[in-house]
Formats: sequence, C-alpha cells, structure tokens
Amino acid sequence: MSMKSLNQLVARSIIDPAVVMAFRSGRIGDVLAELDFTPDLRQQLEGIESASWAEFAVLSYRYVKAAEKPVARIQLPSPLTGLIDDQAQASEEQVA
Amino acid sequence: MIQVTREERHWFLRNMAQALVDYTSAAEPPVPVEELLKHPPAAYQEDFGVVDMYSNLWDATFARPPGQRGSIFVRVDLDPKERRHALARETLSAMITSKQGRSMGLAELLMSDLKDSAEYFASQLLAPEPMLQAYRSGGGSEARFTDAFQLPGPMAASRW
Repeated sequence: MSMKSLNQLVARSIIDPAVVMAFRSGRIGDVLAELDFTPDLRQQLEGIESASWAEFAVLSYRYVKAAEKPVARIQLPSPLTGLIDDQAQASEEQVA
Repeated sequence: MIQVTREERHWFLRNMAQALVDYTSAAEPPVPVEELLKHPPAAYQEDFGVVDMYSNLWDATFARPPGQRGSIFVRVDLDPKERRHALARETLSAMITSKQGRSMGLAELLMSDLKDSAEYFASQLLAPEPMLQAYRSGGGSEARFTDAFQLPGPMAASRW
C-alpha cells in the first residue's frame, strides 16, 4: 500500500506544483499525512534530507521498498530434534 | 545528486508517464499523445506544443526559442506510429526543461542517461502498465498489440 501511495504522490507532483512547493517550504509532512503511509514510515520520509524533489522521491522509494521487503522466515529446529535418539531417527529415515 | 540506479530511474519515469496518462483520462489505448501536447496540464502550458516541419535531419526534436513557448518540431512526413513515438520521446525533454521540471530537479536525475530515459519514458507513455495488463487480461493478442496501442513495431516487440 505504501508503494502505491508513493507512486500516487510522485505522479501528482509531476502535474501539481503544490506538491513541490510544499516540499521546498518544508511542509511535505502535510502532504504525506494525506496518504496511506504507516506512522513510522511517514516519520522516516519526513526526515529525509535531499537537494531536490526528485532526490527526495528516489530516497523515499528506497525507504518504502525496504519497508515492504518480506521478513526472512526464521528457521526453527524441528520439534522432534532431541526427542528421538540418533539410532531410531536413522532407522526411521531408512524406512522412509 | 545522489547515485541513482537504472531501476530507480525507471520507477520515477513510470510515474511521470502515468501522471500524463491519468491527465488525459484515457481508459483504453491508444493514449492520445498529440492531444496531450496540444492541451497540456497547466504546469506545462509554456512547454508542450507541436510544430510540423520539413526536414531530413531528425524525426523530432524539442526546442525552446528564446522567450517563446517550447515545442516539439516533428517531421511532417513520418508514419503515424513513428510520429507518436517521436512525440512521446521528446515530451520528456520538454518536461525536464520546463519550469516545473526544473523545480523538481529532473535534469539532475535524468540528463546523464537521457537517451535511455527518453526511450523508456516513451514506452511507458504509449503503453502504460495498467493499460497493458488490461489489454492482456482482456485477451488482447501480441499480433494486434502494435495496432491497438499505435506503437512502431520495434517498440511493440520490446514492450510486449
């Protein structure tokens, strides 16, 4: 959802000078508040320091992309580990 | 300007193109590029225009005569699909050099790879992703893609 919001923001900025004016006057937070960003992400985007709107957009893209990356699954050991002795486990595997 | 990857640049260009497509309210192909240039968003009133020219030098080029509105000067005898492609490609230069484009910092982001940027932008303006997906899911074929979207053959092949 955040990437969709960022896409909407960037597309809007292309034809609506008000977005870039808000950015240049330090009021981009007001614009971000209208969009569907999580509070954490909005805070991160508001804190971006950049030389231009285009640079802000690219840096925002990096933040949003990083936030949308799926969390790596934690590899837990099998609950059977340690409950079956090694010999029984080996013979079970042989049968399988 | 920070270092920007090709993927990041293309993402930005897709949004630029989508903004213009949304402005035209086109729900299905072909995207009315020439109409867009003749009736642009307010932010580009002084930057979009089309002037036919007789020339063997270029298919089209954007120019901004001093103190005048910028325009794309396009060869009058181009095939209609080639004309759309040339106009779409040169639209990016019009945007970069516009007042709005300068205030966004587009030159710093896009000028170093202008040729790649302009070709990618044109492909997204003439065949935006949502329209392409709708065409595919509606059973549109590759064989008719070039006519449906009014794209030159090579662009259609690479976009499909």
